[in-house]
Amino acid sequence: MMDYQQQLDLQAYLDGELSEAKARRVAAWLAQDAEAAALAIELRQTRSAVTGYEKEIRLPESREFYWSKIQREIQRQERAEPNAERLPEWLKVIRRLLMPATAMAMVAFIAVMVGRQPTGIPSETALTDTGAMTYRDFEKGATLVWLSYPADNEFADYEAAMFE
Amino acid sequence: MRPKLNAVGWAGLMVCLLAFAGEGQAQAAVLKLEAQLVWGTDDSKPPAGKNYQPVQPELKKKLKDLPLKWSNYFEVNRKSLEVKAGETRKEPMSDKCEILVKHLDNSDLEVSLIGKGKEVMKRRQSLPRGEILVLGGNAPNATAWLVILRQAE
Repeated sequence: MMDYQQQLDLQAYLDGELSEAKARRVAAWLAQDAEAAALAIELRQTRSAVTGYEKEIRLPESREFYWSKIQREIQRQERAEPNAERLPEWLKVIRRLLMPATAMAMVAFIAVMVGRQPTGIPSETALTDTGAMTYRDFEKGATLVWLSYPADNEFADYEAAMFE
Repeated sequence: MRPKLNAVGWAGLMVCLLAFAGEGQAQAAVLKLEAQLVWGTDDSKPPAGKNYQPVQPELKKKLKDLPLKWSNYFEVNRKSLEVKAGETRKEPMSDKCEILVKHLDNSDLEVSLIGKGKEVMKRRQSLPRGEILVLGGNAPNATAWLVILRQAE
């Protein structure tokens, strides 16, 4: 069973892309390996089928003239771009001033939006392992957060912790 | 190539100005809150030597609607606090228990519970008028401590 690299070597061999030494090795391998030989035949047939049926395009003018038209069109578009910048001088000044202002405004806007806290959605962050459980009754408008604080081993001084 | 200011740029500028205006308005808002430290118990009286008063009936009913098992609730302490949008207020509820309230926007809050100087819980949520946020835990002799936060009437 051929591996992927062997298949690539075979394709390169058929395309004439291998060095002389490597091409000799592949040719020797092809002569001994029936599977490789079968793949080589299939690849040759595929190549001939593709090249044989490739549609030939005939240009209405000479090759040189055709490419010169493409070149002229590229040059025309490059010249057209600066023409679009013909604006009154005062407008150019305003645009130059507004560009940094707009950039600052965009940055400030993003900062404001990022800085805004999410609304309406409760979220909880337990900074210590309190084992908090949350119960929310939307209808009654009540939220209960039950904590295991003070921890069991602190019950002795609980009142001192919470009430005193 | 020179930069171009197009409609998107102008729109960004306008939106930003509006956002700043809105932010300024929110900054002016003040949230008036009421915080209560409550003791939950099945006893009909407060502990000996303590003059704790029963919580208001309306609050007692709200607590009854929660999955809490105690039949009586006594107010240990009550504090009123006003927090401007964007600001944080620290309010001691007892010598060793305090809450930290940050007013985020409108009725949105960030509440931290501090016990013995340590932040034991931080929660962020909306607290519209009429709603309550109850932070609680078990206490000795099958009782409970509660910190109840709500908008002042």
